[in-house]
Amino acid sequence: MAGSGSAHLRPRDEVLLRVEDLVVEFPAGRGRTVRAVSGVSFDLARGETLGIVGESGCGKSSAARALVQLPPPRSGSVRLDGLELTELRGEALRRTRRRLQMIFQDPISSLNPRRRVREIVGEGPRVWDLPGDRVDEVLEAVGLDPATAAVRRPHEFSGGQCQRISIARALILDPEVVICDEPVSALDVSVQAQILGLLEDLKDRYRLTLVFIAHDLAVVKNVSDRIMVMYLGKVCELAPSADLISRPAHPYTRALIASIPGGGLDLPPADQLISGEPPSPVSPPTGCRFRTRCPRAAARCAEEEPRIRRIGADHWLACHYPETPPAPA
Amino acid sequence: MRRRQGLGFWLALGWIGLILLAALLADLLPFARYDETLAGPPQSGPSAAHPFGTDGLGRDVLSRVVYGARVSLGVGIGAVLLGLGIGAPLGILAGYRRKAADAVIMAVNDVAQAFPALVFALAVVAFAGANLRNVLIVLGVLGVPSWVRLIRGATLTFAEREFVLAARVLGTRDRRILWREIVPNVAVPAASYAFIGMAVVVVAEGSLAFLGLSVQAPTPTWGGLINEGRTLMETAPHVVLAPSIAMFLTVLSFNLVGDRLRSLTDVRESGLEPVRQAAPALPATTHPVRDVLLQVEDLRTHFVTPRGLVKAVDGVSFTLERGRTLAIVGESGSGKSMLIRSILGLLPGTSVRGGNVYLAGDDLTSYTAAEMRSVLGPRLGTVFQDPMTALNPVRTIGTQVMEPLRVHMSLTRRQARAEAAKLLASVGIPDPVRILRRYPHQLSGGMRQRVTIAMALSCRPDVLFADEPTTALDVTIQDQVLRLLHRQREERDMAVVLVSHDLSVVARWADEVIVMYAGKVVERGPAAEVFARPRMPYTEALLQAAPRLTDPVHHRLRVIPGRPPDLVDLPEGCAFRARCAYADERCEREAPPLFEDGHDRRRYACWHPRTQAQDGTAAAPSSDVTDVAEGAESGGR
Repeated sequence: MAGSGSAHLRPRDEVLLRVEDLVVEFPAGRGRTVRAVSGVSFDLARGETLGIVGESGCGKSSAARALVQLPPPRSGSVRLDGLELTELRGEALRRTRRRLQMIFQDPISSLNPRRRVREIVGEGPRVWDLPGDRVDEVLEAVGLDPATAAVRRPHEFSGGQCQRISIARALILDPEVVICDEPVSALDVSVQAQILGLLEDLKDRYRLTLVFIAHDLAVVKNVSDRIMVMYLGKVCELAPSADLISRPAHPYTRALIASIPGGGLDLPPADQLISGEPPSPVSPPTGCRFRTRCPRAAARCAEEEPRIRRIGADHWLACHYPETPPAPA
Repeated sequence: MRRRQGLGFWLALGWIGLILLAALLADLLPFARYDETLAGPPQSGPSAAHPFGTDGLGRDVLSRVVYGARVSLGVGIGAVLLGLGIGAPLGILAGYRRKAADAVIMAVNDVAQAFPALVFALAVVAFAGANLRNVLIVLGVLGVPSWVRLIRGATLTFAEREFVLAARVLGTRDRRILWREIVPNVAVPAASYAFIGMAVVVVAEGSLAFLGLSVQAPTPTWGGLINEGRTLMETAPHVVLAPSIAMFLTVLSFNLVGDRLRSLTDVRESGLEPVRQAAPALPATTHPVRDVLLQVEDLRTHFVTPRGLVKAVDGVSFTLERGRTLAIVGESGSGKSMLIRSILGLLPGTSVRGGNVYLAGDDLTSYTAAEMRSVLGPRLGTVFQDPMTALNPVRTIGTQVMEPLRVHMSLTRRQARAEAAKLLASVGIPDPVRILRRYPHQLSGGMRQRVTIAMALSCRPDVLFADEPTTALDVTIQDQVLRLLHRQREERDMAVVLVSHDLSVVARWADEVIVMYAGKVVERGPAAEVFARPRMPYTEALLQAAPRLTDPVHHRLRVIPGRPPDLVDLPEGCAFRARCAYADERCEREAPPLFEDGHDRRRYACWHPRTQAQDGTAAAPSSDVTDVAEGAESGGR
């Protein structure tokens, strides 16, 4: 797996956000480096939802933060509507950043415990000297009663309600892209369904473009138009959601699907598709990064990193020896 | 802030207020000035005119203690404000900016902290002159390094929270982030430390004064008063006692207030934490014993919280046989983990348990703590969600896996080591002999969970309790661990109780399922039947709310309105009715019993159960579920 390349990117004038060859690295102490994201490219058309799925350490959250330049990536390009974010500094970056907003996993740690909901949600307009009269509107849009909710503090709310407040805070500045980093993984099933439905509604109402990051493939499939599968800082496979789930070609995608109980596909048991545990991102394997766990790995996989290539209408893959996908129905 | 702080806090605050007020208004109070000699007979004991007596020169001791408080409190408050004024900005800068600023500030700070403080204070005061200003400055500056350290630490924890990141994404400037997001959060631990700092300074000033290195006579200070009174200790002990007691109470009060303020730092409390008060006892019961491995009858667990009585487990019954897996599902707060802890007798001290747990006919609820210990391990094994907290971080994997073998199976060291290596190999750990010498943090999450499973299996338990064993693991690792549990169950002919919030896991791996809501069983039965034909509307809604890979893209999930009920004031009737589409008046009045559906194992608690015809479009595709259930039955690998 684990390929580089940008063959899958669409023409620049068709996309709102274009990320090319993104590299994110952190110092890991003793002179070592965590290679969190190593040459990832993807793009989003206006109004589209891109799902990014992968297990812990695959670099999905690091990529999300690199989009908003917090911190900026080591190298690569992030273009919003043609504007190169990685070249912006100071005030210009601050102005542009508000066009991208984020929602985080931990609903409690996302909200300042010492501020009231009205202050939290009204922070954006106050920073930009806009009228604060939209606070009630966005609170209502996320399903909270402004009259009672606005004067309370975050700890008086449940996890699901806190997540609604986070969404309201992100929406009030009318962002173009909202990056959701595991927005429902801390929530109970019944509340998770509420938040997923809410995100879909708000996407239509405010014409949002979403990056939806999660480890749960079923959740990602539910909201995404296209899905990108990541493993250890690299892209494995990218395809329209239904296509990716029904005709997974990458050995890792197949293992992910097979690991979900009741996945519905006629795949062999997961333990025949994947073995062992992910290697450390400090010293990733040479060639294809998935090869240490891949039952199909051969000598070439250790020597040569697979490039992303096209295997279907909009189905992209980085693997030397993919499982032949069944013919489209 | 409205939380009860306890009587001690208010008494301490009262004492500090009293001393402060007296010191401020000393000139207006009706007693002799501190330096008026022969205000009464010298060395006279407490009397109406001189409540604390007089000293060797006939000066009023009360007056001298009150005026002395001016110096003590003045130095205490002043030095702390000085230290805070210098230390807080440096600490915030170091904690928020990180990098070079942090490195430089902390390096200087470490050097400063290495100075022998009191010696330094003595030298400076002796050199620069003993007066109020110098003492205050010296003690204030000496406190700076601790302040920098404290404020930096607090800033660091908040600067990494997502709300600070969110503020930056909104385009908030650093200065505003510092004032609005960081400072209010750092203020509480700072206030707490300020009180403790004042106590330290009051003692330090007292020590300096005792050595004659603080404010000079005739201005009284507590340390100076104690020093003067020392010579009269035998004839007039009150002269030394009065300032000593005043100082003792003040220092104690500062510490107490500081400690209690720290408890305000945690604003996450839900009001559902058990308090130290026992719940009303539940009557002892017995039930006819059936011929099964595990029989739980009418189990109840109650505890008292600041907001009222919580019935965390409210009358749960089930039976379980060898070679079967029972899953307990429910959302957070449904009582599923409490049920497990209740069966195992691992409950917080003040909770009260009712009902019975029979293990092969023996009533575990009648066991003493010592008897329970001999059952936990050899007969009941446990695996919890977080393997890191289940393992002791400073002991090797080997010592931890060997311990139950040596305690319960009386193996020798050598035998235990060999058996431990065998166990690790059986749970799929490669190179077990090498892993025995490792520490928990050197293993991945999946490997750690395999180790805890090996420990749980080591004494060949009859029942293995696994509480969310794979929730903290990645999905590919989750599959490996669940397969492992299933294979071990087959090989060892045990029963497994699996607690999970994940319905797909339960559908795949369980034979029987119990659905819990608000501490009660609302539905139970064979897993395949329950998932294919849920009768209770909550089970049905839960199944439709969970996204599945087989759903089409942008499929609208069923939304269960509202949220799980507040366990403190559960309404009359059915606990689910507020969120239920089929609820009517009867559901409001009467809680439904567990109705039998066809056979004894299949039950549901609902006045308006879903029937097969109604669920046609709704429930889980039955083909899927029966397939996997068969797979599980036949060993499924």
